This record gives sequence, C-alpha cells and structure tokens, in this order.
Amino acid sequence: MKFRFEVNPSLCTGCRTCELACAFAHAQNQKPGRSRIYPLAYEPDKYVPVACLQCDDAACVKSCMFDALKRNEVTGAVELDRERCIKCMACVAACPFGCALLDDVQDEIVKCDLCGGNPACATFCPTKALAYKKI
Amino acid sequence: MVHITINGKVIKATEGEMLLSVIRRHGIEIPALCHHEAIEPTGNCRLCMVEITREEWDGWKKHVTSCLYPVEEGLIVSTHTPDVIEIRKTILDLQLANCPDSEVIQKMAEEYGIYKTSYEVVPEGDNCIMCYACTRICEVLGRSAISAVGRGHRKEIAPPFGAEPPDCIGCLACAQICPTDVIPWTDRDNTRTIWDRKFELISCKECGRQTIAREFADYLIEKRNIPREYFEICDNCKRSELARKMGEIVARAQEVAI
Ligand code: SF4
Ligand code: SF4
Ligand code: FES
Repeated sequence: MKFRFEVNPSLCTGCRTCELACAFAHAQNQKPGRSRIYPLAYEPDKYVPVACLQCDDAACVKSCMFDALKRNEVTGAVELDRERCIKCMACVAACPFGCALLDDVQDEIVKCDLCGGNPACATFCPTKALAYKKI
Repeated sequence: MVHITINGKVIKATEGEMLLSVIRRHGIEIPALCHHEAIEPTGNCRLCMVEITREEWDGWKKHVTSCLYPVEEGLIVSTHTPDVIEIRKTILDLQLANCPDSEVIQKMAEEYGIYKTSYEVVPEGDNCIMCYACTRICEVLGRSAISAVGRGHRKEIAPPFGAEPPDCIGCLACAQICPTDVIPWTDRDNTRTIWDRKFELISCKECGRQTIAREFADYLIEKRNIPREYFEICDNCKRSELARKMGEIVARAQEVAI
C-alpha cells in the first residue's frame, strides 16, 4: 500500500495547530522538538503550510556524505539516522526548500519523517489542508 | 536474524551488527568514546568492554570491545559484571590523567565513582585520546586532510607538515565528531578558521546570514551533482520563498474560481 502526503494550501487558516502537533510528536526528554512544518504568511493574514516534499531525487540525501539520510520505502519519507549524523549542516544548506534544519534545543538536524507513517500534523489539521492519503 | 542474551534477556539482532549498537538500542547505557556509526569501529578507547560467554564454553568467558564484536547466535553478554566495571574504572582513571580538563571524561569517570585520577596527570595534556575519529570521518568524506604525526607520547593529530592543510574544506566534521571536543575552530563574520586555515562562509543572498563553508559547498556540488543555486540562500529564506510560490498558486486558483 502506498501513501502520499497532500497539502491543500487554500484551506490553511494559519491556526498553527500542525506546528504544535509536530513539536509534540517529536518531543524528547520531556521537551517538544522543533516543528518540521511551517505555517508561513505569504501576505498579511494569508498562510500556507510549508513542509518537506520528500523529493524523489532529494538534495538532502545527496548532500549527506555520511549516509545519515535514507528513504523509508514504506512511508516514502526521507528519514534521518541520528546515530550517523555529525551535524555538518550540508543537508540544511542543500535542501532547495529550506526543509532540513537545525533544532538547537534538541541539538539535532530535523526534517519531516511523516511520523513514521502517521503524520500528526495531518491528524490534527482542523481544515484538512493537510492529508495523508492512500494512493 | 540471530538471538543473543544481554543481561539475562533474550534479544533479536541482525547478523553482522555490532554488539554495542544492539546494547544501546535496548536502552542499556555503557560508556564509549571512540564509537560513531558514521565511521568504521576501531576499538581504540576500550571503554565499551563487555563480558561474553556461550552455553558450550562451560563457564569460560572473555572480555571484548562491544563496538568491534559482531553479534552471533547464542552469545551471552553481560554489560555490568564486577570485572567489567573494574576494567572501565581503570581506563577512566587513566584517561582522567591523560585528559584532566575534559568534561566528557570527568562526567564518565564520576559515574563510575572516580573524582580524581590516582595516576600522575600528563603534563601539557591536550585532552586528545588518540581515538582517530577525526581522521576517519575526514577519510569517509574523501579528503583525508589530517592524520597522526609523530611517535610515542608526542604523537598528535595534525595537518601534513604542521602547515595549513591543503585538502581541508572547512566542513567541521572532525571537530563535530571529536568525543573530547579538542579541535579548535571559530566562525567570525563570514570567516571560518580551523587547522589554521581560513574559509569563506557562504552568506545568504537574501538576508546575509552565514551558512556552510564555500569550499565545502563546492565539494558537494561537484561530488554529488547538486545545483549551485541551492547553496546561495539560507534555509529560512528558502522556506519563505516556497511559501511565496505556494501563495501565488493559491491566489491564481482563487482568481480562476471568481
Ligand atoms: S528535506 Fe528538502 S531536499 Fe530533502 S526531501 Fe525534504 S524537501 Fe526534499
Ligand atoms: S547534518 Fe547530518 S544528515 Fe545533514 S548532511 Fe550532515 S551528517 Fe548528513
Ligand atoms: S567505543 Fe568501543 S573501543 Fe571505543
């Protein structure tokens, strides 16, 4: 079974629920993580949810000289292997959409992992601007 | 799939995996300094020592460095026997004499009840434990800009001939991986300094914020065939750019609908 993460930006109201859901889904040591999804205003009061596109020929994967980023063939997400990452910031610099970045609280690289196949942002988005669908 | 016993519990592991990874995955804390998944294990620091035995060994047992020991069916592992703890204490005691100022080692030693080394402190110690993690990660990267030079107690990690290393690209991989944090570097304005060499940091074309070293980016562009323009803008500005593009699409769709 294959799934796809779908964004329907016109439904986004900028409520930032996705951001909160993501931060809590990625909490460690009783501290929320940095959100991997970014509801951003493109005009005053008009928002779109920006998130990793899980590119086919992903620049982040190519830029990692230490094989710390790999595709999960089941969920389709490019996942970070924390044990291999040395925080060289190559992926952060390479991603054309700015969707890999450093969480300085947890001191680790963060990028969307689709929550291992059950993305919290899509579950909690009240307007269904985000959805994880069977294809 | 193989079955091993760790501290009395039967655990499944993948053939070829090293013991240390399996031990850690199951939440058992054992100290290790030179281990990192991105480099081949070397067994240099000896801290990850555990005791192993097998049913058919008849009570015979041995001590191995778990970072270097591949799992095998029927292995019985103990991570905290009195002997193992004694070995770790001796190593930490010695390392404390070798690296008196290393916080990492101080903390590890304290966890094993050692607050002060019983040996004589190495004069002019520099906190380097000679684990070679730095030279190995540089090798993985394909640069090998630094290596061990000198012999005996004078051995140290350095660029060739003690001069500015020509193959260094300023990525900081060595400084990041160093378990005792002894490789000095600085970022000031748009200049990074490491191993006495200076590197230009890329400044974001939109906001001016600094990202990675220009030479590191050039290396990735060439080696991994990544478009150069990806590196010219910082992650913040790239997200805003994506938002702007998505916004345009939304606006256009709404116009069409009207
Ligand atoms: S982090 Fe960036 S480059 Fe990597 S898959 Fe996501 S959008 Fe693509
Ligand atoms: S920061 Fe980590 S994941 Fe990103 S390229 Fe460097 S080692 Fe790979
Ligand atoms: S981690 Fe195994 S010897 Fe250093």
